[in-house]
Amino acid sequence: MSLFLQRTFDSLANGSAYAALAVAISMVFRSTGILNLAQGQLAMFSTYIALVLATGPSPYMKFSSNTDLIGAAWPVWAAILGAIVISMVIGAFTERVIIRPISDNPVAAVGATLGLYLLLGAFVRKQWGGRTMFLGSPFPQTAEDRWDIGGARLWHDSVGITLTMIAVLGLLAVLQRRTKAGLAFRAVTSNRTGSLLVGIRVSRVLMFGWALAAGIGALAGGLIAGEINVRPDMMGRLLVFGLAAATLGGLRSPVLAFVGGYLFAFLETMLGGYVSFVDSQVTLVWALLVLIIVLFVRPSGLMPRTEAWQQK
Amino acid sequence: MAAEMTNEGSSTSRVKRLAWVIGSAIFVAVCLRVAFAATPKIVTDLSNVIALSLAFAGLVVLTHYLGLLSLGQGAFVGVGAYAALHIVNDFGAPVLWMPLAGLVAGTLVGAVVAIPSLRLPKAYLALLTLSLGVAYPIILKQVDGNLPVTLNGEFIAPSWTGIAENDEHIWELFLVAAYASIAIFLVQGLLRGPIGRAFIASRDQPEAARAFGIPVYRLRLFGVALSGGMAGLAGGLLMVPTNFNDYTHFPEELSIKMFALAMAFGGSRLISAVPGALVLIFLPVWLLDRNWVVEYGWIGFVKSEGFIYAALLLLTAYLTKGRGFMSLFETRTPKPALKPTNRRVTSVVRGLVDLDTQLGELEGLVAKQSASRSREEAND
Repeated sequence: MSLFLQRTFDSLANGSAYAALAVAISMVFRSTGILNLAQGQLAMFSTYIALVLATGPSPYMKFSSNTDLIGAAWPVWAAILGAIVISMVIGAFTERVIIRPISDNPVAAVGATLGLYLLLGAFVRKQWGGRTMFLGSPFPQTAEDRWDIGGARLWHDSVGITLTMIAVLGLLAVLQRRTKAGLAFRAVTSNRTGSLLVGIRVSRVLMFGWALAAGIGALAGGLIAGEINVRPDMMGRLLVFGLAAATLGGLRSPVLAFVGGYLFAFLETMLGGYVSFVDSQVTLVWALLVLIIVLFVRPSGLMPRTEAWQQK
Repeated sequence: MAAEMTNEGSSTSRVKRLAWVIGSAIFVAVCLRVAFAATPKIVTDLSNVIALSLAFAGLVVLTHYLGLLSLGQGAFVGVGAYAALHIVNDFGAPVLWMPLAGLVAGTLVGAVVAIPSLRLPKAYLALLTLSLGVAYPIILKQVDGNLPVTLNGEFIAPSWTGIAENDEHIWELFLVAAYASIAIFLVQGLLRGPIGRAFIASRDQPEAARAFGIPVYRLRLFGVALSGGMAGLAGGLLMVPTNFNDYTHFPEELSIKMFALAMAFGGSRLISAVPGALVLIFLPVWLLDRNWVVEYGWIGFVKSEGFIYAALLLLTAYLTKGRGFMSLFETRTPKPALKPTNRRVTSVVRGLVDLDTQLGELEGLVAKQSASRSREEAND
């Protein structure tokens, strides 16, 4: 029992990252109909921004002469916040410059996001090299920072990450339900032509959506960096799980995508823990299998079927 | 190939046919010359180019004929390679069957991926194939272990070919070329016939195609399976000159590179698969000659190669609207565009035009139950 509890606790941090990526992907997809394959790489890039802000001048960095701009090293939480702001700007910029000119052609748009994926990967490899780097966690991470519940250790770190994610999703929900910008976003999501005709500035709303998605990705990257360290390929696995979780929400529902993220992390830990021939790498494959089965049985994910099909 | 291109013996088509025959003869002559004169390395590279052209052709069928996205073509090639090696090693099949095993395996995997995802919006196929591309090396590492699997058998040229005993690479090149040209010939015929036209109809006007009685879902399923099969065949053919395979051979980067190249060079003709394969194989060679760091050859990413492919993808997206650079050489009648000058007016007018087309579509659907429509393709 304590082992089961331990594994559940262990899945929390990963689950938060998957959930955040899934929410970001489904937000972009449901407002623009574009599957942003670069979401993971954008988050990875944001994590490097956080790293630069947090570590300050570093022997590994080629532009260390520029770090006077940043000044002394920031605390990790401030670095993550800074990275979120910068990423939101990058996200809005991406929408405006890269995606919008070709947004009427989905094939070209997916091609462009893939181009962005390659570009970010190549840039980070060139700038910072392929080696693993460390960004601490904004939450206490020493060996004493834990609660012992039923013989299992619940780290403050993973609780902090999870609570932050839930709080952010709550904020997002409030933003969507209570503010004018959220109303416009929902209008554009449900009927773009109609909202264009009633005078909503659709392009600005879409830009806002991309910025939000990039911000959420940055948060995910910054928080999970305390667990899995910073590498150029840190997001490959996370992206697959994020996509799978987003599928569970039919690529449309952020709430279900969020739940899906934790569900897949739970599944990953349990399969890795209890099934002897599944080692930690191969859980990815089983998650994929689960995804295919879900698509076979319930193509709309966990969403109510009618709702999923009504929205185009 | 030449015969099918002509229609009823008009004088221009006769010239065209003659040009094709002469061109093919010159091509074959050059290939023979290269095969017997060049170093084994170049010959092997050429075999790889021919095999990969087939995989690229599969991708061209998918992206440019069907308008679908596959980000896991490298994984399909890998599946073919796996099946090809194991049918010889585990079941004792003759080595000449290897490509066929690849074909079957690729088709099956393509169908498995396509069946669930094609009922959904197009993005799902991209999503599932990308996941397959990421998962394939991990699965293979689990199945085959860390060490490469080597072929238990070898290709020996029959005596009538006159190929010397230690020149198997020439015989291998001929084998690969023979398999690939038969496959391309068949696929070309398929695409020129009713199925090819149905592909294009289902890409451009799925609703209209359905109204004409084209089973769009089944057609797309067939297309993805065909594309997977071609990739699998390519994988089987790659194992002819290479003879071994391990989990580093077909990583996700290969799939992404292949997608980028197919996007960039794909036109509506299968021949546009060849430049993609040439670039894939020879770009790292070229970079290496210029003292760039090439870690894994054509398989993985060269450090700065990522920039080249990113630029290629972005340029394709902007300059050709995703149609590929070869399409610039094809004659097309451009649509008359509606372009008022005032921006705000533009957006409203565009909205009205959209609304108008939507209403038109709705009218076309009045007879149909909305449930049956939304079930199949809600997002064409």
